[in-house]
Amino acid sequence: MEYVIELKNVDKEFKVLNRHEGLKGSFQDLFSRDYKIIKAVNNVSMNIKPGEIVGYLGPNGAGKSTTIKMMTGVLQPTRGEIVVNGKIPYKNRTANAQNIGVVFGQRSQLWWSLPLIESFKLLKDIYGISDKDYKDMLTLYESLVDIKELYSKPVRQMSLGQRTLSDILAAFLHNPPIVFLDEPTIGLDVSMKAKIRNLIKALNKEKNTTVILTTHDMGDVDALCERIVIIDKGTMLYDNDIEHLRSFFGAYRTLLIKTKKRPEELSEEERKSELESVETIVKEDFADKDFTFSLSDEGWCSVLIDESQVRLMKVLNHIQEKMKVYDVRLEEISTESVIRKIYEDAENLKKAN
Amino acid sequence: MKRLGFYISIYRKIIIQDIKSKMSYRSDFIISMIGMILTDISELLAFYIMFLNFPSVCGWTYHEMLFLYGFSLVALTPLQCLFDNNWHLRHYVYDGEFIKYCFRPINIFFYYISEDFDTKGLGQFFVGMGTIVYAWYKLDLPVTFINIAALIVAIFAASLFMVAIMNIAAASCFFLTNSGYIMVTMNKFRDYAKYPVTIFPIFFRIIFTFIIPIAFIAYFPSLVILRPQEIPFLTWFSPVYGLIFFYISYRIWMWGASKYSGTGS
Amino acid sequence: MRIKAYGALVRASVMDFMQFRLAAFVMLLGNIIYLIVIYNLWRAIYASVDNATINGMSFNDTMIYLVLASAQFTFMEAYLVWEMGRSIQSGKIVLNLLKPISYDKYLLFGIEGGNLCAFVVTFIPTFIIVQIITKGAIHMGVNLLFYLAAALFGMIINFAIDFFVGTICLYTESTWGINIMKEVVVLFLSGATVPLAFFPGTLKKIAMFLPFHAIYNTPLTFLTKGEELGLGESFIMLGEQILWAVVLLIIGKIFWKLSERVITVNGG
Repeated sequence: MEYVIELKNVDKEFKVLNRHEGLKGSFQDLFSRDYKIIKAVNNVSMNIKPGEIVGYLGPNGAGKSTTIKMMTGVLQPTRGEIVVNGKIPYKNRTANAQNIGVVFGQRSQLWWSLPLIESFKLLKDIYGISDKDYKDMLTLYESLVDIKELYSKPVRQMSLGQRTLSDILAAFLHNPPIVFLDEPTIGLDVSMKAKIRNLIKALNKEKNTTVILTTHDMGDVDALCERIVIIDKGTMLYDNDIEHLRSFFGAYRTLLIKTKKRPEELSEEERKSELESVETIVKEDFADKDFTFSLSDEGWCSVLIDESQVRLMKVLNHIQEKMKVYDVRLEEISTESVIRKIYEDAENLKKAN
Repeated sequence: MKRLGFYISIYRKIIIQDIKSKMSYRSDFIISMIGMILTDISELLAFYIMFLNFPSVCGWTYHEMLFLYGFSLVALTPLQCLFDNNWHLRHYVYDGEFIKYCFRPINIFFYYISEDFDTKGLGQFFVGMGTIVYAWYKLDLPVTFINIAALIVAIFAASLFMVAIMNIAAASCFFLTNSGYIMVTMNKFRDYAKYPVTIFPIFFRIIFTFIIPIAFIAYFPSLVILRPQEIPFLTWFSPVYGLIFFYISYRIWMWGASKYSGTGS
Repeated sequence: MRIKAYGALVRASVMDFMQFRLAAFVMLLGNIIYLIVIYNLWRAIYASVDNATINGMSFNDTMIYLVLASAQFTFMEAYLVWEMGRSIQSGKIVLNLLKPISYDKYLLFGIEGGNLCAFVVTFIPTFIIVQIITKGAIHMGVNLLFYLAAALFGMIINFAIDFFVGTICLYTESTWGINIMKEVVVLFLSGATVPLAFFPGTLKKIAMFLPFHAIYNTPLTFLTKGEELGLGESFIMLGEQILWAVVLLIIGKIFWKLSERVITVNGG
């Protein structure tokens, strides 16, 4: 079996009631039969190999969770084919569940009032894990994170970080070929995020587990994913490795200019007018080229330049001729801005693919 | 059959753990227990007050009605102890939390229901048993093996009906946004079980026998012991009918769960 | 403007209620079936005494009383103790304290809209049905206005008791136990389960000394005994309600103020 997950032209549609606004509207809805069809997932296809860590990205409401629910067998696709571990998930939900692990956002799937180790023991029985495999897994866990001290703690008393950690360990416990992680680092502090990323990476290496990860945190993507799939409004925008994506956008660099001595002390309006003057200067000489202008948090003017169109130094020289520049900084494009650019500009992406 | 053994073993483990953790919240345990017993006592008081003013209800005496009531309390125990999580179902569904029950390789209904063992139901059991024993003594009923066996089978059948009715009521939240009222209403219906079904006109007797079968909860089974000479033919089928009805309620619950896809996100 | 803020709360809870389409119909259906059950039960009970009048209650009186008590329950019971218990345990209570309206007012006006809807959707139809079934046994006169006033005060008393009991949830995790005890005591001693008229002497006296009877018994008496009550007597009954409402609201408020510390100390 070459692929652990195969999606072929998958569609998912929902029927929702058209709600009316206001008090009068709620009375109307009482009798309304006015439904509309919403296409949550539109013609999505992908194949995932064993051991891959795939970042599944997209803005809120893009259809990520819906796709994951279909892959786990909770939802049935309206059209198209899904094969997970050689089976059709929604037709064999329980059989499929045996071969996957799921962490769904902040919803703990552990028994709320039981100490963690009791939850693990129950999972051992439910998934029919052999004594040896169970012991080995716990030994592995103990070597990766300080889990021992959490064993006797009921889940309800845990911090969010501890709970997320426990949930991830629980998802890997029966050593499934695939684990789905839906925003695993949401709401966590920096050190906990790092801990969780290291854990996922280590478990993936150790057990060759395929990991499908949805996230809004580009730190997760940089740390974990070799491959990313991007979806927006239900349609797939991109599916390739992260290097490919960076190299396509590699021609882009960001030029940061400090136009006043203390830009951090400027008001919002003053900053905006600074940015506008930079914009006018750049545009008068390079009218036919594309730029993206924005303000950094410290009040610097930032210009995103496509170096395949115009050299960055040329732009900088031109600006310096026209206005006073106190300081300059150059930045390579970050994953963050790449993804933002993709959301903003679906057209470019078709070229990239 | 192997599957059944698997489920029983898991169920036993979950329940033991759950009771252990419940016992560690002692004040909650005691307050809930008192609340439960108080509820039952207020109902007994209501009976008492009614019979102070009226000699009988449709030919049923005070002690016969007490028996019926005690019987319905004991038959309620499995529902209260084992299926109480049904009351939380609509919150899980509404918040989208229910999705977390869909990822395990075991039956969703089992997994969901097994999560909670409600200890306070035990208080109800003791009040109910006490009432049955008291009424039994006052009514001068014979204590024979047949009678005791009949009581146990009757309670078992009655429990199935109670659980089934509440399963269906709980499952309504898969289809409606705010189904809390349905559960409350159904719970009230279940309450009517403590009255003899003969008080109703024929049309409602049919409804309460076949559609919302509350007649099977306490009335038919109690007849076996109270008035063995008056038993309607149907009574003998109540355990079978109970099993069928429970199965139907289970199918409806599962159908709802499969329709569910998690609101939002 | 304060009034505007309260208005918005009421409006929001009305809309919240209407979202629940089918549930509204089920509520009515449930009440109709309850009505049928109660009707048959009490007809059977009264049959055993040849339809005599017992303790001043005829069959019609009992019917009106119990069915409307149940309909009244649907618009009065806002499951406030639950609500408070839940938000205390989830820590959401802290957010409510940050609102520019005091917590008791926030709760009161927050449930008002739903209560109003339930009144229109369940109470009024039930009232009409009862009136038809009993062939116009409810006196239609100034007593209806008294009923509306008494129901409003009853609701406020019920709210005050709920708020007091809900505050207890700050001290214990046992929301369920606290709530069920409250419900049993209130429903029993207010005469919602069995009309107070049937209570034996001493128990009846005790019940009349407690505030609970003002929630169900007082308003419903205006409907069952509409003709016999004089204006003076009616106003005395309302006056007693107002007194209880004021006393209980004050006690609730003081208890809440004293208990608020628990939140600030424990951080919710």
